[in-house]
Amino acid sequence: MTQDSIVADNLPYLDISDPGFSIRSSEVMRARELCWCARTNYGLAVLRYDDVQKLLRHPKLRQGSYRWPTLNDVTGEFARWWESMLLSQEGDNHSRLRRMANPAFSPKLITTLAPKFTELATMLIDEFAPKGECDFIAEFTEPYATGVICELLGLPFERWRELADIAADMGLALGVTFKKDLPTIEAATRRLFDYVEELVEARRAAPKDDFIGMLIKANEDKSQLSDQELLDMIVLAIFGGIDTTRNQLGLAMATFIEHSEQWALLAEQPELGRAAVEEVMRVRPTVTWVTREAVEDFTYNDTPIEKGTTLHLFSQSATSDPRVFDDASFDITAERKPHFGFGGGAHHCLGHFIARGDMTEALKLLAQRLKNPRFNGEVEWLPDSGNTGAIRMPIAFDPA
Amino acid sequence: MKVHVNMDICLLHGQCVIAAPEIFSFDDNGDLHWVEVIDDSQVADAEAASDACPEQAIILG
Repeated sequence: MTQDSIVADNLPYLDISDPGFSIRSSEVMRARELCWCARTNYGLAVLRYDDVQKLLRHPKLRQGSYRWPTLNDVTGEFARWWESMLLSQEGDNHSRLRRMANPAFSPKLITTLAPKFTELATMLIDEFAPKGECDFIAEFTEPYATGVICELLGLPFERWRELADIAADMGLALGVTFKKDLPTIEAATRRLFDYVEELVEARRAAPKDDFIGMLIKANEDKSQLSDQELLDMIVLAIFGGIDTTRNQLGLAMATFIEHSEQWALLAEQPELGRAAVEEVMRVRPTVTWVTREAVEDFTYNDTPIEKGTTLHLFSQSATSDPRVFDDASFDITAERKPHFGFGGGAHHCLGHFIARGDMTEALKLLAQRLKNPRFNGEVEWLPDSGNTGAIRMPIAFDPA
Repeated sequence: MKVHVNMDICLLHGQCVIAAPEIFSFDDNGDLHWVEVIDDSQVADAEAASDACPEQAIILG
Protein backbone atom coordinates (compact mmCIF):
# COMPACT_ATOMS: atom_id res chain seq x y z
CA MET A 1 0.00 0.00 0.00
CA THR A 2 1.53 3.34 -0.97
CA GLN A 3 0.52 6.28 1.10
CA ASP A 4 3.02 8.63 -0.51
CA SER A 5 0.60 10.25 -2.91
CA ILE A 6 -1.47 11.60 -0.02
CA VAL A 7 1.53 13.18 1.54
CA ALA A 8 0.64 16.69 0.65
CA ASP A 9 3.75 18.37 2.08
CA ASN A 10 3.87 19.72 5.59
CA LEU A 11 1.51 17.21 7.16
CA PRO A 12 2.63 16.33 10.68
CA TYR A 13 3.80 12.74 11.25
CA LEU A 14 2.82 10.40 14.11
CA ASP A 15 4.46 6.99 14.70
CA ILE A 16 1.37 5.20 16.00
CA SER A 17 2.88 1.69 16.00
CA ASP A 18 5.48 2.74 18.60
CA PRO A 19 4.30 1.04 21.84
CA GLY A 20 5.20 4.27 23.64
CA PHE A 21 2.92 6.35 21.42
CA SER A 22 0.08 7.99 23.33
CA ILE A 23 -3.11 9.23 21.77
CA ARG A 24 -3.24 11.81 24.60
CA SER A 25 0.29 13.16 24.07
CA SER A 26 1.17 16.80 23.49
CA GLU A 27 2.56 15.58 20.15
CA VAL A 28 -0.98 14.72 19.02
CA MET A 29 -2.32 18.04 20.32
CA ARG A 30 0.40 19.94 18.44
CA ALA A 31 -0.40 18.02 15.26
CA ARG A 32 -4.10 18.83 15.74
CA GLU A 33 -3.25 22.54 15.82
CA LEU A 34 -1.15 22.30 12.66
CA CYS A 35 -3.57 20.36 10.49
CA TRP A 36 -6.84 18.39 10.47
CA CYS A 37 -4.86 15.22 9.84
CA ALA A 38 -1.41 13.69 10.26
CA ARG A 39 0.52 11.07 8.36
CA THR A 40 1.19 7.85 10.24
CA ASN A 41 2.86 4.53 9.46
CA TYR A 42 -0.65 3.10 8.78
CA GLY A 43 -2.13 5.90 6.67
CA LEU A 44 -3.76 9.10 7.91
CA ALA A 45 -4.82 10.07 11.43
CA VAL A 46 -7.81 12.42 11.61
CA LEU A 47 -7.52 14.71 14.63
CA ARG A 48 -10.31 17.30 14.78
CA TYR A 49 -13.94 16.98 15.89
CA ASP A 50 -15.71 18.16 12.73
CA ASP A 51 -13.59 15.99 10.45
CA VAL A 52 -13.96 12.86 12.56
CA GLN A 53 -17.71 13.39 12.61
CA LYS A 54 -17.90 13.77 8.82
CA LEU A 55 -15.49 10.98 7.96
CA LEU A 56 -17.11 8.44 10.31
CA ARG A 57 -19.97 8.21 7.80
CA HIS A 58 -18.37 9.42 4.59
CA PRO A 59 -19.82 7.57 1.56
CA LYS A 60 -16.35 7.05 0.05
CA LEU A 61 -15.13 5.20 3.13
CA ARG A 62 -15.77 1.71 4.45
CA GLN A 63 -15.02 0.16 7.82
CA GLY A 64 -11.26 -0.38 7.75
CA SER A 65 -10.20 -2.91 10.37
CA TYR A 66 -11.31 -5.92 8.30
CA ARG A 67 -7.77 -5.87 6.88
CA TRP A 68 -6.11 -6.03 10.27
CA PRO A 69 -5.14 -9.76 10.02
CA THR A 70 -3.78 -9.23 6.49
CA LEU A 71 -1.79 -6.17 7.56
CA ASN A 72 -0.24 -8.34 10.27
CA ASP A 73 0.38 -11.19 7.82
CA VAL A 74 -1.82 -13.47 9.91
CA THR A 75 -4.19 -16.27 8.82
CA GLY A 76 -6.12 -18.90 10.80
CA GLU A 77 -9.35 -19.33 12.72
CA PHE A 78 -9.33 -15.85 14.31
CA ALA A 79 -8.60 -14.20 10.94
CA ARG A 80 -11.40 -16.18 9.24
CA TRP A 81 -13.89 -15.12 11.90
CA TRP A 82 -12.68 -11.51 12.01
CA GLU A 83 -12.95 -11.07 8.25
CA SER A 84 -16.45 -12.59 7.98
CA MET A 85 -18.23 -11.20 11.05
CA LEU A 86 -20.71 -8.31 11.11
CA LEU A 87 -18.20 -5.50 11.66
CA SER A 88 -16.17 -6.49 8.60
CA GLN A 89 -19.19 -6.78 6.30
CA GLU A 90 -20.52 -3.97 4.09
CA GLY A 91 -23.60 -3.36 1.93
CA ASP A 92 -26.46 -5.85 1.72
CA ASN A 93 -24.75 -8.57 3.73
CA HIS A 94 -24.04 -6.15 6.54
CA SER A 95 -27.61 -4.83 6.48
CA ARG A 96 -29.10 -8.33 6.61
CA LEU A 97 -26.99 -9.34 9.62
CA ARG A 98 -27.47 -6.02 11.39
CA ARG A 99 -31.27 -6.12 10.99
CA MET A 100 -31.24 -9.58 12.48
CA ALA A 101 -29.17 -8.63 15.51
CA ASN A 102 -30.83 -5.24 16.21
CA PRO A 103 -33.93 -6.44 18.12
CA ALA A 104 -31.78 -8.18 20.75
CA PHE A 105 -30.00 -4.91 21.53
CA SER A 106 -32.94 -2.52 21.60
CA PRO A 107 -33.31 0.23 24.23
CA LYS A 108 -36.50 -1.48 25.47
CA LEU A 109 -34.36 -4.35 26.67
CA ILE A 110 -32.43 -2.09 29.04
CA THR A 111 -35.49 -1.42 31.15
CA THR A 112 -35.78 -5.12 31.90
CA LEU A 113 -32.04 -5.62 32.40
CA ALA A 114 -31.28 -2.62 34.68
CA PRO A 115 -32.30 -4.40 37.92
CA LYS A 116 -30.05 -7.33 36.94
CA PHE A 117 -27.12 -4.94 36.44
CA THR A 118 -27.68 -3.49 39.92
CA GLU A 119 -27.94 -6.95 41.45
CA LEU A 120 -24.71 -8.10 39.79
CA ALA A 121 -22.78 -4.95 40.75
CA THR A 122 -24.01 -5.16 44.35
CA MET A 123 -22.98 -8.79 44.63
CA LEU A 124 -19.46 -8.04 43.37
CA ILE A 125 -19.01 -4.91 45.53
CA ASP A 126 -20.21 -6.80 48.64
CA GLU A 127 -17.39 -9.31 48.07
CA PHE A 128 -14.49 -6.85 48.23
CA ALA A 129 -15.83 -3.68 49.89
CA PRO A 130 -15.20 -4.70 53.53
CA LYS A 131 -11.43 -5.00 52.75
CA GLY A 132 -11.25 -1.33 51.71
CA GLU A 133 -9.12 -2.35 48.72
CA CYS A 134 -9.29 -4.45 45.57
CA ASP A 135 -7.88 -5.00 42.13
CA PHE A 136 -10.62 -3.07 40.40
CA ILE A 137 -10.16 -5.00 37.14
CA ALA A 138 -10.00 -8.57 38.50
CA GLU A 139 -12.60 -8.05 41.22
CA PHE A 140 -15.05 -5.73 39.53
CA THR A 141 -14.83 -4.71 35.86
CA GLU A 142 -13.96 -8.16 34.49
CA PRO A 143 -16.62 -10.23 36.32
CA TYR A 144 -19.14 -7.42 35.83
CA ALA A 145 -18.63 -7.03 32.07
CA THR A 146 -18.65 -10.79 31.65
CA GLY A 147 -21.67 -11.19 33.94
CA VAL A 148 -23.66 -8.76 31.80
CA ILE A 149 -22.91 -10.82 28.70
CA CYS A 150 -23.88 -14.01 30.57
CA GLU A 151 -27.17 -12.34 31.48
CA LEU A 152 -27.79 -11.22 27.90
CA LEU A 153 -27.01 -14.63 26.42
CA GLY A 154 -28.62 -16.67 29.17
CA LEU A 155 -25.33 -18.29 30.22
CA PRO A 156 -24.58 -19.45 33.75
CA PHE A 157 -22.63 -16.74 35.63
CA GLU A 158 -20.51 -19.47 37.29
CA ARG A 159 -18.60 -19.87 34.03
CA TRP A 160 -17.65 -16.16 33.80
CA ARG A 161 -13.93 -16.77 34.47
CA GLU A 162 -13.63 -19.08 31.47
CA LEU A 163 -15.30 -16.55 29.14
CA ALA A 164 -13.31 -13.61 30.52
CA ASP A 165 -10.02 -15.47 29.97
CA ILE A 166 -11.01 -16.40 26.42
CA ALA A 167 -12.02 -12.79 25.64
CA ALA A 168 -8.77 -11.43 27.07
CA ASP A 169 -6.68 -13.91 25.05
CA MET A 170 -8.61 -13.19 21.85
CA GLY A 171 -8.30 -9.48 22.58
CA LEU A 172 -4.53 -9.78 22.08
CA ALA A 173 -5.36 -9.89 18.37
CA LEU A 174 -6.21 -6.18 18.49
CA GLY A 175 -2.78 -5.22 19.78
CA VAL A 176 0.45 -4.52 17.93
CA THR A 177 1.79 -7.93 19.08
CA PHE A 178 -0.94 -9.82 17.16
CA LYS A 179 1.45 -12.09 15.25
CA LYS A 180 3.65 -12.93 18.24
CA ASP A 181 0.56 -13.82 20.32
CA LEU A 182 -1.06 -15.86 17.55
CA PRO A 183 -0.85 -19.32 19.23
CA THR A 184 -2.66 -17.96 22.33
CA ILE A 185 -5.23 -16.15 20.17
CA GLU A 186 -5.91 -19.23 18.03
CA ALA A 187 -6.32 -21.48 21.06
CA ALA A 188 -8.79 -19.01 22.62
CA THR A 189 -10.73 -18.69 19.36
CA ARG A 190 -11.09 -22.47 19.10
CA ARG A 191 -12.22 -22.70 22.72
CA LEU A 192 -14.84 -20.02 22.17
CA PHE A 193 -16.21 -21.66 19.02
CA ASP A 194 -16.37 -25.03 20.87
CA TYR A 195 -18.22 -23.32 23.72
CA VAL A 196 -20.66 -21.61 21.35
CA GLU A 197 -21.30 -24.79 19.32
CA GLU A 198 -22.10 -26.66 22.51
CA LEU A 199 -24.38 -23.80 23.57
CA VAL A 200 -26.27 -23.77 20.26
CA GLU A 201 -26.80 -27.55 20.47
CA ALA A 202 -28.19 -27.21 23.99
CA ARG A 203 -30.52 -24.38 22.89
CA ARG A 204 -31.77 -26.31 19.89
CA ALA A 205 -32.79 -29.05 22.32
CA ALA A 206 -34.29 -26.62 24.86
CA PRO A 207 -35.31 -23.40 23.07
CA LYS A 208 -35.43 -20.05 24.88
CA ASP A 209 -36.92 -16.78 23.73
CA ASP A 210 -33.77 -14.65 23.85
CA PHE A 211 -30.89 -13.43 21.65
CA ILE A 212 -29.57 -16.91 20.91
CA GLY A 213 -33.09 -18.31 20.54
CA MET A 214 -33.88 -15.59 18.01
CA LEU A 215 -30.73 -16.35 15.99
CA ILE A 216 -31.45 -20.09 16.06
CA LYS A 217 -34.92 -19.38 14.73
CA ALA A 218 -33.51 -17.21 11.92
CA ASN A 219 -31.04 -20.01 11.15
CA GLU A 220 -33.95 -22.37 10.27
CA ASP A 221 -33.82 -20.59 6.91
CA LYS A 222 -30.13 -20.96 5.98
CA SER A 223 -30.38 -18.23 3.35
CA GLN A 224 -31.34 -15.80 6.12
CA LEU A 225 -28.62 -16.88 8.54
CA SER A 226 -26.16 -19.69 7.74
CA ASP A 227 -24.78 -22.08 10.36
CA GLN A 228 -21.42 -20.33 10.26
CA GLU A 229 -23.01 -16.85 10.53
CA LEU A 230 -24.98 -18.03 13.55
CA LEU A 231 -21.79 -19.07 15.37
CA ASP A 232 -19.87 -15.98 14.19
CA MET A 233 -22.58 -13.67 15.55
CA ILE A 234 -22.65 -15.25 19.01
CA VAL A 235 -18.84 -15.18 19.16
CA LEU A 236 -18.98 -11.46 18.28
CA ALA A 237 -21.51 -10.76 21.03
CA ILE A 238 -19.22 -12.42 23.59
CA PHE A 239 -15.94 -11.00 22.30
CA GLY A 240 -17.30 -7.53 21.58
CA GLY A 241 -19.07 -7.10 24.88
CA ILE A 242 -16.52 -8.22 27.45
CA ASP A 243 -13.19 -6.50 26.76
CA THR A 244 -14.69 -3.15 25.80
CA THR A 245 -16.84 -2.75 28.92
CA ARG A 246 -14.09 -4.13 31.16
CA ASN A 247 -11.66 -1.55 29.76
CA GLN A 248 -14.09 1.36 29.74
CA LEU A 249 -15.08 0.91 33.39
CA GLY A 250 -11.40 0.73 34.39
CA LEU A 251 -10.77 3.96 32.49
CA ALA A 252 -13.76 5.48 34.28
CA MET A 253 -12.30 4.65 37.69
CA ALA A 254 -8.87 6.03 36.72
CA THR A 255 -10.49 9.25 35.52
CA PHE A 256 -12.55 9.68 38.68
CA ILE A 257 -9.52 8.95 40.89
CA GLU A 258 -7.87 11.92 39.20
CA HIS A 259 -11.05 14.02 39.74
CA SER A 260 -12.19 13.09 43.24
CA GLU A 261 -14.64 16.00 43.53
CA GLN A 262 -16.54 14.61 40.52
CA TRP A 263 -16.76 11.19 42.21
CA ALA A 264 -18.18 12.79 45.36
CA LEU A 265 -20.67 14.68 43.21
CA LEU A 266 -21.79 11.47 41.49
CA ALA A 267 -22.30 9.83 44.91
CA GLU A 268 -24.51 12.74 45.95
CA GLN A 269 -26.39 12.88 42.65
CA PRO A 270 -26.71 9.37 41.22
CA GLU A 271 -28.96 10.75 38.48
CA LEU A 272 -25.69 12.02 36.92
CA GLY A 273 -24.70 8.38 36.25
CA ARG A 274 -25.59 8.41 32.60
CA ALA A 275 -23.88 11.77 32.01
CA ALA A 276 -20.82 10.39 33.83
CA VAL A 277 -20.60 7.51 31.35
CA GLU A 278 -20.77 9.91 28.40
CA GLU A 279 -18.17 12.26 29.89
CA VAL A 280 -15.75 9.41 30.68
CA MET A 281 -16.12 8.12 27.13
CA ARG A 282 -15.39 11.60 25.82
CA VAL A 283 -12.14 12.07 27.73
CA ARG A 284 -10.92 8.43 28.02
CA PRO A 285 -12.55 6.20 25.40
CA THR A 286 -11.26 2.62 25.34
CA VAL A 287 -11.62 2.73 21.56
CA THR A 288 -9.06 5.46 20.96
CA TRP A 289 -9.47 5.38 17.21
CA VAL A 290 -11.91 4.05 14.63
CA THR A 291 -10.58 2.77 11.30
CA ARG A 292 -11.88 3.57 7.83
CA GLU A 293 -10.59 2.76 4.35
CA ALA A 294 -11.11 4.68 1.10
CA VAL A 295 -13.10 2.61 -1.42
CA GLU A 296 -12.20 4.98 -4.25
CA ASP A 297 -10.02 8.04 -4.90
CA PHE A 298 -11.53 11.23 -3.52
CA THR A 299 -10.57 14.66 -2.24
CA TYR A 300 -11.31 15.83 1.29
CA ASN A 301 -10.28 19.25 2.67
CA ASP A 302 -8.22 19.74 -0.50
CA THR A 303 -6.26 16.60 0.33
CA PRO A 304 -6.36 13.88 -2.33
CA ILE A 305 -7.06 10.51 -0.68
CA GLU A 306 -6.18 7.47 -2.76
CA LYS A 307 -8.28 4.31 -2.89
CA GLY A 308 -7.07 1.86 -0.23
CA THR A 309 -5.81 4.58 2.12
CA THR A 310 -6.40 3.79 5.80
CA LEU A 311 -7.77 6.58 7.98
CA HIS A 312 -7.62 6.42 11.75
CA LEU A 313 -10.27 8.65 13.26
CA PHE A 314 -8.82 9.69 16.64
CA SER A 315 -11.85 9.79 18.92
CA GLN A 316 -10.14 11.16 22.03
CA SER A 317 -8.28 13.84 20.09
CA ALA A 318 -11.54 14.89 18.37
CA THR A 319 -13.52 15.16 21.59
CA SER A 320 -10.88 17.31 23.29
CA ASP A 321 -10.62 19.59 20.23
CA PRO A 322 -10.57 23.21 21.51
CA ARG A 323 -12.45 24.31 18.35
CA VAL A 324 -15.55 22.60 19.76
CA PHE A 325 -14.90 22.22 23.49
CA ASP A 326 -14.08 25.61 25.07
CA ASP A 327 -13.32 23.99 28.36
CA ALA A 328 -12.56 20.33 27.72
CA SER A 329 -11.78 19.45 31.35
CA PHE A 330 -13.62 16.51 32.89
CA ASP A 331 -17.03 17.66 34.16
CA ILE A 332 -20.00 15.32 34.46
CA THR A 333 -22.42 18.26 34.72
CA ALA A 334 -21.37 19.93 31.44
CA GLU A 335 -23.56 19.88 28.32
CA ARG A 336 -21.42 18.27 25.61
CA LYS A 337 -21.59 17.52 21.92
CA PRO A 338 -21.69 13.75 21.20
CA HIS A 339 -18.49 11.71 21.62
CA PHE A 340 -17.31 9.00 19.22
CA GLY A 341 -16.65 6.26 21.76
CA PHE A 342 -19.17 3.98 20.05
CA GLY A 343 -17.94 4.77 16.54
CA GLY A 344 -20.61 5.96 14.13
CA GLY A 345 -22.39 5.38 10.86
CA ALA A 346 -23.41 1.93 9.62
CA HIS A 347 -21.05 0.24 12.09
CA HIS A 348 -22.11 2.22 15.17
CA CYS A 349 -21.67 -0.08 18.18
CA LEU A 350 -24.55 -2.56 18.28
CA GLY A 351 -24.36 -3.00 22.04
CA HIS A 352 -24.27 0.67 23.05
CA PHE A 353 -27.65 0.77 24.82
CA ILE A 354 -26.58 -2.16 26.99
CA ALA A 355 -23.08 -0.74 27.55
CA ARG A 356 -24.51 2.66 28.50
CA GLY A 357 -27.06 1.02 30.77
CA ASP A 358 -24.69 -1.34 32.57
CA MET A 359 -21.95 1.27 33.04
CA THR A 360 -24.47 3.80 34.38
CA GLU A 361 -25.75 1.38 37.02
CA ALA A 362 -22.20 0.34 37.95
CA LEU A 363 -20.85 3.89 38.37
CA LYS A 364 -23.88 5.01 40.41
CA LEU A 365 -23.41 2.16 42.87
CA LEU A 366 -19.62 2.35 43.00
CA ALA A 367 -19.68 6.08 43.79
CA GLN A 368 -21.97 5.41 46.72
CA ARG A 369 -20.07 2.43 48.13
CA LEU A 370 -16.40 3.31 47.45
CA LYS A 371 -15.54 6.69 48.99
CA ASN A 372 -12.26 8.49 48.21
CA PRO A 373 -10.89 5.86 45.81
CA ARG A 374 -7.12 6.11 45.19
CA PHE A 375 -4.45 4.03 43.47
CA ASN A 376 -2.94 1.47 45.81
CA GLY A 377 0.02 0.12 43.85
CA GLU A 378 1.14 0.08 40.27
CA VAL A 379 -1.53 0.10 37.55
CA GLU A 380 -0.71 -2.08 34.53
CA TRP A 381 -1.91 -0.61 31.26
CA LEU A 382 -2.38 -1.82 27.71
CA PRO A 383 -0.65 0.49 25.17
CA ASP A 384 -2.32 3.92 25.13
CA SER A 385 -3.63 3.53 21.58
CA GLY A 386 -5.86 1.13 19.66
CA ASN A 387 -8.20 -0.43 22.23
CA THR A 388 -6.76 0.64 25.56
CA GLY A 389 -7.42 0.07 29.25
CA ALA A 390 -5.95 -1.27 32.48
CA ILE A 391 -5.08 -4.93 33.01
CA ARG A 392 -4.51 -4.49 36.76
CA MET A 393 -5.65 -1.60 38.93
CA PRO A 394 -5.06 -1.91 42.69
CA ILE A 395 -7.19 0.66 44.47
CA ALA A 396 -7.97 1.53 48.09
CA PHE A 397 -11.10 3.31 49.31
CA ASP A 398 -13.20 4.05 52.37
CA PRO A 399 -16.11 1.60 52.41
CA ALA A 400 -19.51 3.20 52.92
CA MET B 1 -48.79 6.50 11.27
CA LYS B 2 -46.60 9.62 11.01
CA VAL B 3 -42.82 9.47 10.93
CA HIS B 4 -40.65 12.36 12.08
CA VAL B 5 -36.90 12.66 12.59
CA ASN B 6 -35.56 15.25 15.00
CA MET B 7 -32.73 16.60 12.89
CA ASP B 8 -31.32 18.52 15.86
CA ILE B 9 -30.13 15.25 17.36
CA CYS B 10 -29.86 13.03 14.25
CA LEU B 11 -26.18 12.26 13.51
CA LEU B 12 -26.85 10.57 10.16
CA HIS B 13 -25.52 7.16 11.21
CA GLY B 14 -28.00 5.62 8.78
CA GLN B 15 -29.16 2.83 11.10
CA CYS B 16 -32.76 3.64 10.05
CA VAL B 17 -31.78 3.20 6.40
CA ILE B 18 -30.45 -0.26 7.26
CA ALA B 19 -33.45 -1.21 9.42
CA ALA B 20 -36.20 0.17 7.17
CA PRO B 21 -34.88 0.99 3.67
CA GLU B 22 -38.39 1.47 2.29
CA ILE B 23 -39.03 4.34 4.71
CA PHE B 24 -35.61 5.98 5.14
CA SER B 25 -32.98 6.75 2.52
CA PHE B 26 -29.90 8.88 1.87
CA ASP B 27 -29.64 10.98 -1.30
CA ASP B 28 -26.39 11.46 -3.19
CA ASN B 29 -25.46 14.39 -0.93
CA GLY B 30 -25.81 12.19 2.12
CA ASP B 31 -29.00 13.97 3.31
CA LEU B 32 -31.64 11.84 5.03
CA HIS B 33 -35.13 11.50 3.55
CA TRP B 34 -38.08 9.60 4.90
CA VAL B 35 -41.70 8.75 4.11
CA GLU B 36 -43.74 10.99 6.41
CA VAL B 37 -46.93 8.97 6.44
CA ILE B 38 -46.77 5.17 6.41
CA ASP B 39 -49.43 2.49 6.27
CA ASP B 40 -50.00 -0.32 8.77
CA SER B 41 -47.84 -2.77 6.86
CA GLN B 42 -44.80 -0.56 7.47
CA VAL B 43 -45.27 0.08 11.19
CA ALA B 44 -43.08 -2.82 12.34
CA ASP B 45 -40.22 -1.62 10.11
CA ALA B 46 -40.59 1.95 11.38
CA GLU B 47 -40.47 0.72 14.98
CA ALA B 48 -37.38 -1.35 14.22
CA ALA B 49 -35.74 1.78 12.78
CA SER B 50 -36.76 3.87 15.76
CA ASP B 51 -35.32 1.29 18.17
CA ALA B 52 -32.12 0.97 16.17
CA CYS B 53 -31.44 4.73 16.08
CA PRO B 54 -28.39 5.29 18.33
CA GLU B 55 -29.50 8.88 19.04
CA GLN B 56 -33.20 7.98 19.47
CA ALA B 57 -34.08 10.74 17.01
CA ILE B 58 -37.07 9.04 15.35
CA ILE B 59 -40.55 9.96 16.57
CA LEU B 60 -43.52 7.83 15.55
CA GLY B 61 -47.09 8.81 16.16
